[in-house]
Amino acid sequence: MLNRAFTLFLFTLFSVPASAEKASTLTIYTHPSFAAEWGPGPAVKAAFEQSCDCQINYVVLDSGGDILQRLRLEGESTEADLVLGLDTGTMETTRQTGLLANHDTDLSALSLPIDWQDPVFVPYDWGYFAFVYDTEQLPEPPKSLEALISAPDDLKIIIQDPRTSTPGLGLLLWMRHVYGDQASEKWQQLKGKILTTTKSWSDGYFSLFMNGEAPMILSYSTSPAYHMAVDKTDRYQAAEFEEGHYLQVEVAALVKSSDQKELGQAFLDFMLSEDFQRHIPLKNVMYPATDLGDELPAVFDKLIQPSDALYFDPKTVTDNRRTWLNEWLDAMTR
Amino acid sequence: MSPVIQHQRRSLPAYPAPLSHSRWKLWPGLTIAAALIVLSLAGLGALVWEAELPGLSEFWSNRYLRTVVTFTIWQAFLSVVLSLLVAFPVARILARQPAFPGRAFLLRLMELSLVLPSIVLVSGIISVYGRQGWFTGLANEWLGTSWNLYGINGIVLAHVFFNAPLAARILLQAIESAPASQRRVAAQLGLGRWWYWRAVEWPAVKPVLPGLAALVFTLCFTSFAIVMTLGGGPAATTIEVAIYQSLRFEFDAGQAALLAMVQLVICGFFWWLAARHGLTASLLPDRRVASHRSKAGSSIWARLGDGTALAVFVLFLVTPLMAILLRGLPGMGSAFFPDGTFSVNPALLDATLRSLGIAIPAGLMSVIAALLILASGTSQSRPTITRLSDVAAYLPLMVPPLVLGTGLFLLFRPSLGNSSEGLALVTLINAMMALPFVLQMLRGPMGSLDSASRMQADQLGVLGWYRWRWLHWPRMRRPLALAMAYGTGLSLGDFGVIALFGSPGQPTLPVLLYQQLGSYRIDAAAATGLWLVLLLLMLFSLFNRLGSPLFNSGLAPKSSRTVPEPEHA
Amino acid sequence: MLEVQNLVFAYPGQETPWNFQFSAEPGHCIAIHGASGSGKSTLMNLLAGFLEPQSGDILWQGKSLRHAAPWQRPMTSVFQEHNLFEHLSVTANIGLGIHPGLKLAPEDTQAIERGLDSVGLSGFGQRLPSDLSGGQRQRVALLRAILRKQPLMLLDEPLTGLDREARDLLRQLLLQQKAQGALIVLASHDEEDRRILADSVCTL
Repeated sequence: MLNRAFTLFLFTLFSVPASAEKASTLTIYTHPSFAAEWGPGPAVKAAFEQSCDCQINYVVLDSGGDILQRLRLEGESTEADLVLGLDTGTMETTRQTGLLANHDTDLSALSLPIDWQDPVFVPYDWGYFAFVYDTEQLPEPPKSLEALISAPDDLKIIIQDPRTSTPGLGLLLWMRHVYGDQASEKWQQLKGKILTTTKSWSDGYFSLFMNGEAPMILSYSTSPAYHMAVDKTDRYQAAEFEEGHYLQVEVAALVKSSDQKELGQAFLDFMLSEDFQRHIPLKNVMYPATDLGDELPAVFDKLIQPSDALYFDPKTVTDNRRTWLNEWLDAMTR
Repeated sequence: MSPVIQHQRRSLPAYPAPLSHSRWKLWPGLTIAAALIVLSLAGLGALVWEAELPGLSEFWSNRYLRTVVTFTIWQAFLSVVLSLLVAFPVARILARQPAFPGRAFLLRLMELSLVLPSIVLVSGIISVYGRQGWFTGLANEWLGTSWNLYGINGIVLAHVFFNAPLAARILLQAIESAPASQRRVAAQLGLGRWWYWRAVEWPAVKPVLPGLAALVFTLCFTSFAIVMTLGGGPAATTIEVAIYQSLRFEFDAGQAALLAMVQLVICGFFWWLAARHGLTASLLPDRRVASHRSKAGSSIWARLGDGTALAVFVLFLVTPLMAILLRGLPGMGSAFFPDGTFSVNPALLDATLRSLGIAIPAGLMSVIAALLILASGTSQSRPTITRLSDVAAYLPLMVPPLVLGTGLFLLFRPSLGNSSEGLALVTLINAMMALPFVLQMLRGPMGSLDSASRMQADQLGVLGWYRWRWLHWPRMRRPLALAMAYGTGLSLGDFGVIALFGSPGQPTLPVLLYQQLGSYRIDAAAATGLWLVLLLLMLFSLFNRLGSPLFNSGLAPKSSRTVPEPEHA
Repeated sequence: MLEVQNLVFAYPGQETPWNFQFSAEPGHCIAIHGASGSGKSTLMNLLAGFLEPQSGDILWQGKSLRHAAPWQRPMTSVFQEHNLFEHLSVTANIGLGIHPGLKLAPEDTQAIERGLDSVGLSGFGQRLPSDLSGGQRQRVALLRAILRKQPLMLLDEPLTGLDREARDLLRQLLLQQKAQGALIVLASHDEEDRRILADSVCTL
């Protein structure tokens, strides 16, 4: 009753006529870096709508974490037919909600650093976490994670909070993968070099790193591609670490309660085609999930090529994240 | 002298005023207050419903959570003390130097600081006080100190930047409303600064102090974006931040709800303390005949000293804004002159219109709600209930928006379909969030009708609508305009509420700013930030213009002297 | 006829309460006389309904006013000072007495102008109270009371502190009002006021 009255009140405040919709609409929950006017979203939408009598409706949520949150809050009543923009850090938790359906996309075209055979999630891009540095401030960056950790404390770095940011969580897993149970001690050694821990990647990148506050920031190995291709500057580069780099894969999946499953499946197939993938490198600033051959922009050849792709099985991450987080908290506040 | 006044006597007033029954005064305000309480409890309750509340003993045995609570209190306490230490001298100087070039502009700047979106301001502060900042360079070279922004330094600095101007503004308003008789006597006695402070300024400031301190405390206590960027790491975390972290990936609703309750209890305690001393600014009569300058501010040396102190304050306010300007200018070109000719970037234009479409109704709603709550406070029939409604208006500051948002989402989700409803909800919640500030701006002026005027008005039957129209409105134009500017400005710069309920597919300006940041569009983002600051500045100027007596109409007196309304500019 | 019956009032902490009792006819002026603190203003405020008595009653034409709100009582008060709304013009101040929403008919505006002429304030209509001298302000306040046409006028030291000329003028106006049937309750410690205006004197 209260709900009713409340909605009614809102309706009378802002009564906006509902927009006319085509017969079949595919509702995709995604995040701004995909759906923004400069992201791959608009071009992908146009390309897909040409091949089907349908319409794509992006519901843009703040981040992959928010997509998971919204799904969890809405449950079976969700409007989403497909979710796009989850990653290896959030996909297992999303799987456990039981709200997603299996796909039957042919995954043989994938070209990822790891073997991928997931019944629910289809990757659409990937990248490595890496420390991006300012070559003008730091001509000689550390060559390994170990070198960074044992560097003197006047080398300052900016990281993100693993509780709120994807790269932040990535670094936590990276440290864990390299150092195992010694991760806590290593964090304590690293602590003196951390200038600040920001909520999200963009807070740190814009306000701090681009302001010259610290010469290194936790980011993606692909970040320099944007600076080189669009800003036309070689100033910002990623530091290659000997131990290898932690891998991030971004994925999409069908929603179980969707009444547009066929259309959704068609979209997942389309996702691994060149018409979709060619927009990924410069518009999403990540590696495409399939081999684009010559279509891969030249700047991507200049990026670091880590020797090892470090990767935890998503289930391991979900099972241990809380413990690892608490260890990290403990190390950082001691 | 000839008897010309002749007439028939009539027995009773024949013109009842509309809305004059006391229920019109009491109930609308109480209803709003009740709605605020219900909404807050519903949001919190839905979260508790969703998950088991962890036990309090478990909470206290968690070392990290204990650190969070003590750090939150400590930084808020420091911020309040420093903000007030800056605000007192500034307000006093501004009160005793009522006319100098640029005074009005300085007041606009002071108003602006509170509504600046924190991400924009933080970038400005970093440019000045960060490791590569102008100030840091000077400090290292000349003073030989090593200043480090990150950690409690930066948090408190940013809080002082946000709150000292607000506090100074409220204190200035209080000092300026000191009774004319006191000022006259003080002027005649030629009191020195200390005695002038004791005799005139302190008594005027004292009644607003508890409410002001509680306001600044709550603002710093619940600080979010500043702490997240300048805090340095998990050692410097506020409760508000911890709530965000526990809801983000883990969706630990129980811990979030418990933290929210701890916050509510601590802040609520301070408001309760403040309310015991009376939140009502004062009922001082404002029958000033003319302003009397104190002797203290008139000598050359005094003016020189005042000037220097103000210059330092202005520098403190302006340097981060300059940094924002310098960073934003390169991107302004492509935002406004994409092909060499003037045309606004459509995304920016859309976001601007959408922001204004949310902010202006939100500002209006908050002002109306504040007036109704204050009206119910002036009806003296039920003091306990009205005090409760008074404190309820500050609830939006204490209940973490994320908790409120998530809770309400859980409650209303099935019936919240499209994004226009989402935007309506954003407007409503923004109005709620602005309410405490608007209330603080209007409280003094609304209560300033002195007892003699109230008696006269009662007898003449100037009640209800008529009283509002003829006795309150003419004196409240300026405070109302200022309150409207605050309400609108806060909503315009809002990122928290819109991030929860809005749809990023239809960004407002702050959301657009974040999206540009998230996609390496640094120049565009800096330009959006600058544009937002300029828009806020224009908004404040516009509302100030609307509130100035030049726009007075109707029975405007043509007088050589100005209307003795409470001064705000 | 105004009848004040055993009106009892005490401020908190006051040991011996006041007890007022008197009656007066329309067309008369009853002067209340007493030292300061003797309860003159308290009586005025009780009559106007600004204070609530502990017991007793006020009757006007046989009807009780005990529970009537200030705006429901057939009277107008003029205090020693602070009678005018500082932010409103002289005309608006007077006009509020005629219509509480300032909805003035042309004849009301004319009446205000004529009234201002008759008290020597021609052309002052658009001024603010702060532009007027004390005597001028009291003339405006009294003019408002007169144009309100209420049968009862409660005057609390209305002429105190005014110059000779203003006093004479206002006394004339009050005598006129009395002649036209107004009942005036006048609190004054001025011997001359009482002698000229009052028909009876009540000492507290």
